[in-house]
Amino acid sequence: MAGITRLNARMNRRRVIAASGGTVLGAAIFGNLSVGSAQESDVTVTMVTDTAGVGDQNFNDLAVLGGDRAAEELGVTFNILESQTQADYSPNLAQGGETSDLTIAVGALLGDAVAEVAPQFPDKFFALLDGVVEQDNVYSVVFREHEGAYLGGVLSALVSQSGILGVVGGIRVPPVARYEVGFVAGARTINPDIEVLISYADSFEDPALGQELTLAQLNNGADVVLPIAGRTGVGSFDAVNEQGEGFWIMAGDTDQSHLAPGRQLAAIRKGVDVAFFDAAQAVVDGNFPGGTVDDLGLVEGGMDIYAFDATVDQSMLDTVAAYKQAIIDGVIVPPADDDALAAFVPTPLDGAATPAASPAATPAS
Amino acid sequence: MSDFFTVALLTAILRSATPLVLAAMGGILSERSGVINIALEGMMLTGAFFAVAGTHWTGSPWLGAAIGVGAASVAAMIHAFWCITLRGNQIVAGTAINLIAAGLTAFLIQLIWDRAGATDSVEQLPDLFGTVNVLVFAALVIVPLVHFYLFRTKQGLHTMASGESPQAAESVGIDVTRNRYLAVVASGALAGMGGAYLSIGNLSYFTLDMTAGRGFIALAAVIFGGWTPFGAAGAALLFGAAQAIQIEAQATSGFPISADLLVALPYLLTLIAVTGLIRKSNGPAGLGQHANAH
Repeated sequence: MAGITRLNARMNRRRVIAASGGTVLGAAIFGNLSVGSAQESDVTVTMVTDTAGVGDQNFNDLAVLGGDRAAEELGVTFNILESQTQADYSPNLAQGGETSDLTIAVGALLGDAVAEVAPQFPDKFFALLDGVVEQDNVYSVVFREHEGAYLGGVLSALVSQSGILGVVGGIRVPPVARYEVGFVAGARTINPDIEVLISYADSFEDPALGQELTLAQLNNGADVVLPIAGRTGVGSFDAVNEQGEGFWIMAGDTDQSHLAPGRQLAAIRKGVDVAFFDAAQAVVDGNFPGGTVDDLGLVEGGMDIYAFDATVDQSMLDTVAAYKQAIIDGVIVPPADDDALAAFVPTPLDGAATPAASPAATPAS
Repeated sequence: MSDFFTVALLTAILRSATPLVLAAMGGILSERSGVINIALEGMMLTGAFFAVAGTHWTGSPWLGAAIGVGAASVAAMIHAFWCITLRGNQIVAGTAINLIAAGLTAFLIQLIWDRAGATDSVEQLPDLFGTVNVLVFAALVIVPLVHFYLFRTKQGLHTMASGESPQAAESVGIDVTRNRYLAVVASGALAGMGGAYLSIGNLSYFTLDMTAGRGFIALAAVIFGGWTPFGAAGAALLFGAAQAIQIEAQATSGFPISADLLVALPYLLTLIAVTGLIRKSNGPAGLGQHANAH
């Protein structure tokens, strides 16, 4: 038995190293970010990534942005634990619970692991971004991605010449599905005949596959593609770059125009960085909202659309702004799931810009 | 359906199959010499990373590809040293190579580019005839070369003898150790080329774990193809076709077959191949065996 225990201990240790990969070493680099902070704090904040990890150019990197800001402005110590596989979620969260005051799980996929680990550390705080776990020491933040994506769909349909759009998803977890249905609803509001091709990679970390999925959509007539796929989605930018003029990316989560200069139509903004920072600040201020759920959309500033390309003209911007106001006012309620999308009746606003693709221009299928 | 199988789909099949074909040729060389190589994944990842790093350092994607191939050969050398000289467990060694490659590349991204997860973009290897990368053609040439080497040269036959029965090969004066080292290092070079195809052929950067299991799929192609170059290349093309078709199916509204099912199809086929339902899958008899102790 002793031998087995020792073996297990060794395997666990290796798993933690494997889980964090170069990150245990890399943490030293990140740790440096807290040096020279404006203010000192003895609060330690640990971020646990999903398998897409740091460097996904969107969701995880946004959280890092929030963590860096917390290190800089609040003086907290900010650590990152990367998860290479789903089996790393629980050990990484437990390590966060042991070593820090606040452990922030970044991604819907970590929900079950948070529910399992948080009760083991009742005197520590946990936050889950993109999912809900109802426990006293867990603060949950979800976003109404469908509201931002609806605006992305509106603009994409206005710009599309072919009347065909694309969505390239990583894994169809609820936040990704909300992006997808919101985008479709927005596009249909502008052009009821629009076609939206929807492809999933079943992976957030395969850019070569993301490129192929996007190329296939472009070859089938799509001219604006929304990737919501972590590192897989980086490949979508390559595909659009390759096709060049006349093809566009609608970016998800954050501005990624550096990946495809001049080919990003706009970016749907998701306030992951703000939510991350606010959670850290609450711990520093001693008013951590454990046990509560924040649901952030356009009206709370949790979602938005920004980083418009120069070719987006004023009438399009006005139209997007009008739909944004309609959602904030509750006049339009974008669907959040498949059932709501099926029941959704597009109601175009009066005086809005008209789509580039007239229904007659849509190729017969 | 007639406009479903287009030139675009055929080139997509070639693009998906190329990294699998290259790594599978490496897998065949290693396994035919008697060394199990589940480290193909790690060698591909090493090749993918150093191809980008090499291009970054030298400014030339050709030198970058060479550096990627060289680095993967070094990883293979470590595998060979562990498996052949130290007579260690070949599965454990392969697993270790895969874990080291994942961790080391993640660390080196931060060291070189001072950021995590993904490198900057570098220059790509050129495309020929429109959108088909030069390494696609390299893969098409390498398959018959590996076949010729194994079955038509003395060195190749010695390699296979080392894999079938290392003791018997030694007894007739074949240097099993040397043959196995050569074969394993060559397997690293080929897997590294497959990785370089992904990072600077298909794309123009490296991201964490970007090989996404393709090394293991290549190994499945080796087994599915009965450890022969043409068989494995055919299997890799089949796997590439399954992926390309599911991608096309997802992008085509109203395609009659579930894309999820198509994603699972290559793996299902491999499982069937391994169980021997299609035909008997016989690996080299001396696979995983060590030569006589000296």
